[in-house]
Amino acid sequence: MSDEQPATEIGHEEFDPNGTLALILIYFAILVVMWVFMYFVEFLGNELTVIG
Amino acid sequence: MDIHSYEKIWLVLAVLLIAGFVSTVTYGATAVGVQMIDDDGGTIDANALDEDPRFGNPRVEQVGENHYAAYVVAQQFIFRPDPITVPANSTVTFYVTSPDVIHGFEVVGTNANTMVVPGQVSKLTVTVEEPREYGILCNEYCGNGHHTMEGKLIVQPEDEYAQGGSTDG
Amino acid sequence: MAEALDAGAPSFRDRFPDEAAVVRAALLSSFIALTLGAVFGIIQGLHRTNVLRVLDSQFYYTILTAHGVLMVVSFTIFFLVGLFTWATVRSLERPLEDIRYTWAWYGLMVVGTLMAVVAILGGFVPSVDISADVLFTFYAPLQAHPLFYGGLAIFVIGTWLAGADWFWSWYNWKQAHPDERIPLQAFMVLTTMLMWYIATIGIAIAVVGFLLPWSLGLIEQVNPLLTRTLFWFWGHPVVYFWLMPAYLLWYTVLPSLAGGRLFSDPLARVVFVLFLLLSTPVGIHHQYVDPGIAEGFKMIAMTNTMFLLLPSLLTAFTVVASMEHGARQRGGTGLFGWLRALPWRDPAFTGMTLAGLMFAAGGFSGMINAGMNINYLIHNTLWVPGHFHLTVGTAVALTFMAATYWLWPRLTNRQLYSRPIALGQVVLWFVGMALMSNAMHVMGLFGVPRRTAEPQYQGFDFVASFGSITELRIQLALGATLLFVSTLLFAANIALSSWTPTVSGHGHRLPDPLSGPGDSPVVLDNLKLWFGIGMVLVVLAYTLPLASIVQDSGLFGRGIDAYPAMIETPVLLEGSPLSLAEPLASKVSAMLSGVIS
Repeated sequence: MSDEQPATEIGHEEFDPNGTLALILIYFAILVVMWVFMYFVEFLGNELTVIG
Repeated sequence: MDIHSYEKIWLVLAVLLIAGFVSTVTYGATAVGVQMIDDDGGTIDANALDEDPRFGNPRVEQVGENHYAAYVVAQQFIFRPDPITVPANSTVTFYVTSPDVIHGFEVVGTNANTMVVPGQVSKLTVTVEEPREYGILCNEYCGNGHHTMEGKLIVQPEDEYAQGGSTDG
Repeated sequence: MAEALDAGAPSFRDRFPDEAAVVRAALLSSFIALTLGAVFGIIQGLHRTNVLRVLDSQFYYTILTAHGVLMVVSFTIFFLVGLFTWATVRSLERPLEDIRYTWAWYGLMVVGTLMAVVAILGGFVPSVDISADVLFTFYAPLQAHPLFYGGLAIFVIGTWLAGADWFWSWYNWKQAHPDERIPLQAFMVLTTMLMWYIATIGIAIAVVGFLLPWSLGLIEQVNPLLTRTLFWFWGHPVVYFWLMPAYLLWYTVLPSLAGGRLFSDPLARVVFVLFLLLSTPVGIHHQYVDPGIAEGFKMIAMTNTMFLLLPSLLTAFTVVASMEHGARQRGGTGLFGWLRALPWRDPAFTGMTLAGLMFAAGGFSGMINAGMNINYLIHNTLWVPGHFHLTVGTAVALTFMAATYWLWPRLTNRQLYSRPIALGQVVLWFVGMALMSNAMHVMGLFGVPRRTAEPQYQGFDFVASFGSITELRIQLALGATLLFVSTLLFAANIALSSWTPTVSGHGHRLPDPLSGPGDSPVVLDNLKLWFGIGMVLVVLAYTLPLASIVQDSGLFGRGIDAYPAMIETPVLLEGSPLSLAEPLASKVSAMLSGVIS
């Protein structure tokens, strides 16, 4: 399976997870947009909201 | 403890996200005034609903200037009254309970959605606007006829309601 | 580091043959439950969408109870005990203390499962008085046969004894290694079990204190709100009992599959400690629209729940960073290009990664579920199963299946029957689930209910603000079909792996993390401290709500009768094989009644 040797070895000091940061910022943006849509459009925009 | 600076950034963003979610919900609870179902409805003897002045005769009645109370019984496998008829442009408080098992009371396509627990009364207040019809369904499994359990909420034009009066079950 | 990828090392089976046998047994029990559960799942998926109905709708609820219990009690938890046995033994590098004790708790779990399954399947035979058509949540006053409650209780006791087994191993390891940090996998096992001990308090009281004696006729009434609240005391943390083994795999195995190393051991420990602290004092978020519970208690549950997002959000970063490390070590470059350097041909890697990706979506619908007032929008609608099929149904289930492709050869010394089929299987699961779960979420937003045999009503139609209900039903049925095929592919692949050639040297030492345990404060390993704080948080979250329920409506409720959940009038379809089961089942029922009474 993946039991081959890595092409290079990257130690703790040299490694900055740039790709991860980029991906997670995209995820963050999606979460914010989806939450705002769900809460303000789908939920508050729906009928018969319970006010008491 | 050695945390990479990128992960620290993410940690801060994650906490901000969480704070944002809590703030939104709080905004809904305060500025918009959304209230949760809670213990306001009180408790009741599930075996003695017939003797209760509200649920012995499930109905809609006027309780204030433009305020109506709907006393609803959810039981295997019907809602009473059916249909629940209220006038347009009014405030309606539903009181819902069950003599048998746990049910759900969901006005389809809306935010009016509550559990109905024997021994407890669920109280929820909404404002109804234009005349229209809503379906009601039970969304908590209550036995082998659960999928047949449905009802109707009819919002009538005000003059029609005044002439016909309220319906009871 | 180089010897980490040395082919030719002895496998787990070579080093710990007795332990490997127990792990195999647990995993096999898990896969049997999964396969049977999947049969019920496809019947449901085709039935409620009105694509194909083979049974009367009354039986839908028997099937739904079986599907729920087999999937989220049997499949998940048998896998957990197998995985945790493997992880404890290999990370502490010592065999189990007494293998007979281990087989004993495993046996209890099997007995408990069989009891509950017999009770549930009895629901297919209406002439027999044994049934448990109460669904996975078994809310009173719906009542099941005592075999059901008894079986669940015995199963849970088995898991308690399993935890004790691993603590026993750790305790003896500690004597021999007094100043060392707890190896990461063992740490994860122990913190998960401590969480479980706290969580099961609620269900133990509900079942043993109320529901079992009630079903035996020893007490007359129960308070439905109280037993429901005690259920959810356990009902939320159980999802972490499902998730934490998946996280163990993502943290300790997935990085090496990607060709890299775990980004941070300390953060992994922090995550597991956070789960120990926060998993339980949140259960009331399943009761946001329950009467009889004050809004203040619901608000507290919400705040705790929102903080519970944190360990999962941290996990996303740490796991992806570990994969990126692997990809770059394999030669990947660029801001996103490194993704291509990952070993996508490896079914174990791809399965776990797709599972994690799907979890990102499931996490979002979970965030919505956590929002106290927005819950009105989706409570008890099909949105909720949409959510949990992404989380337990994929993040957990697909990770377990993918990990099996990696682990099974190490437990059996045999090759996997087919890597290409395995790869196809995990991709098929992802696609099927994407279709099914998306349809469920959308239909839920239109008000379509969950747990309903025929969500097609007389007096009204569901209104779809985009697409159509018919299309969504077809999408759900299609997704369910793909998932069923995928399950069969998994089961067949593992079954056929019993006859493949033996391989030796399949051992694989998992590499050290980039940031090791030495980089974290020793207090993280103070299990007593975290357990203590966890208990305090639970007491704070639950004492007042429970006391208030008991005060308002009594320990045993007011005027609540029992409603045995069974099918009164048998309505079997023509030529159904169930009609043959009746005479046999009557005999068995008479036997069991004789034993119990």
